[in-house]
Amino acid sequence: MAGVEMSVNLGGLQMKNPVTVASGTFAAGREYNDFFDIAQLGAITTKGVSLHGWEGNASPRMAETASGMLNSIGLQNPGVATLREKDLAWLESKDVPVVVNVSGHSFQEYVDVIEALESDTRVSAYEINISCPNVDAGGMTIGTDPTSVEEVVALCRKASKRPLIVKLSPNVTDICEIARAAESAGADALSLINTLLGMAINAKTSKPELARVVGGLSGPAVKPVALRMVWQVYQAVSVPLLGMGGISNGTDAIEFILAGATAVAVGTANFVNPCAALDVVHGIEAYCEEQGVADVNELRGALLC
Amino acid sequence: MGSVKRLEETTQIVSNIKAAENLYFIDVHSPQIAQALRPGQFIHMQIPGMPDKILRRPFSVYKTDAEAGTLCVLYQVVGAGTEHLSTLNAGERCSLIGPIGNAWAPPAGARCLLVGGGVGAAPLFMLAQELAQAAHGVHVVLGAQTKDALVALADYEALPHTTLSAATDDGSFGYAGFCTQPAQDAIDSGEYDYVAVCGPEPLIKIVSGLAQDAGLPCEVSLERRMACGIGACLSCVVDTVEGKKRCCVDGPIFKASEVVW
Repeated sequence: MAGVEMSVNLGGLQMKNPVTVASGTFAAGREYNDFFDIAQLGAITTKGVSLHGWEGNASPRMAETASGMLNSIGLQNPGVATLREKDLAWLESKDVPVVVNVSGHSFQEYVDVIEALESDTRVSAYEINISCPNVDAGGMTIGTDPTSVEEVVALCRKASKRPLIVKLSPNVTDICEIARAAESAGADALSLINTLLGMAINAKTSKPELARVVGGLSGPAVKPVALRMVWQVYQAVSVPLLGMGGISNGTDAIEFILAGATAVAVGTANFVNPCAALDVVHGIEAYCEEQGVADVNELRGALLC
Repeated sequence: MGSVKRLEETTQIVSNIKAAENLYFIDVHSPQIAQALRPGQFIHMQIPGMPDKILRRPFSVYKTDAEAGTLCVLYQVVGAGTEHLSTLNAGERCSLIGPIGNAWAPPAGARCLLVGGGVGAAPLFMLAQELAQAAHGVHVVLGAQTKDALVALADYEALPHTTLSAATDDGSFGYAGFCTQPAQDAIDSGEYDYVAVCGPEPLIKIVSGLAQDAGLPCEVSLERRMACGIGACLSCVVDTVEGKKRCCVDGPIFKASEVVW
């Protein structure tokens, strides 16, 4: 495998390979470390964290759908202090950059979370979650309005010197407009897509499958939508992109890179195959070797059309 | 039990046998997981040949054969996944993650009452096997809709030092009615120090309520929809007096006194 240059720079976040995980599918990595050494990934993206703990939504919180799943977890998390005490302490023993996914119910809460982490050297970058569809305040309510996006990203920008990755919602009419708003407010990179708002109904009981009725769709079912959005946003902005949405193997990842992604994240596939993210690293490398690509960065946006 | 390492093992189906209407025993060759698994723990199975149903399915383990390197799951066909599982043949391969979760933990030396409704008989069997080694034995109450559906009965009957009570909804075997009645009789007898229960959630609620009324410690094995099955995704949470806990790795066995129904 020697020979292929796999390292990428995602808006100042230096990664030894272009693969991380989608926030919320991997906790802080400890659970998956039973199956492979998670330090082999380009970065670990942690579960969304708020200032104080959130309980999350009622159950059922998950429903399987055709080639995918719906979730409505609702950003259940124990708060940023616990993230530091437990998760970052564990991750410190791993030689891998950590991207903390930052969530808030208000603009100020995003800033508060960043301020609680800004002096913590175990954090390499932030992913600003303005796209979770499962909360009533914050999340997607911010990320679907360009003015709010500009405002919250500008506040986060002021609060941090670290690379700022803004995670976009696909539940908008024009994702490029949102992408430009985030870029103009100081985002170093954009990640996309978060889940697509959806629902599932049990016809036998006439009830929704999720307690919250609606939830976020992920998995292979969303890949074509995600690819389209990465390709559109790649042409609309100049900051690098972290592509995600239904990536299960190296070929899927290559498709995102061809569409314009600098790096990729593996999400729902982790539930299917606990080694999926590592398999994606190896799959990208194997593709490059087969195609005679010396540096994975050569593939970015190399779509022929 | 976070300190116990979980394994992913590619396994081969040894047999997949229909035991009664909608009830099957599947044996898979999974030597590492079979060796490590303790009573009450479960496996997360990827059912091959379902490209549009991507998630794994959690199954409690009925029994293991460490020598043969196999484990056996008793499952009921309830949806598309188990329907498809019932069509798989010996020799087909599937990936398992396991062992997952905590184990039954009766107090040492306790006189134990085990109550299993329907396929809830399965995750109690390995516990019964262990308890049956003690001279004072174990009392097992099994319930099902019909005699034919009491597919674990013969295995339980073969255990030493085991008192068995059965109930069928249609009265075709044992007590006619729900197994909550023989469970109540056993609890009322005052002969037991601990109750373990698994089955449909209404049954679990009733029996754990009876045990708690009698002041007996009670453990329950719960089921939730799961995605990752290893504690990361927070899909399967159970409401407890200490907040939400993950059914997969904080359970599947919970103290009845901590569950908020």
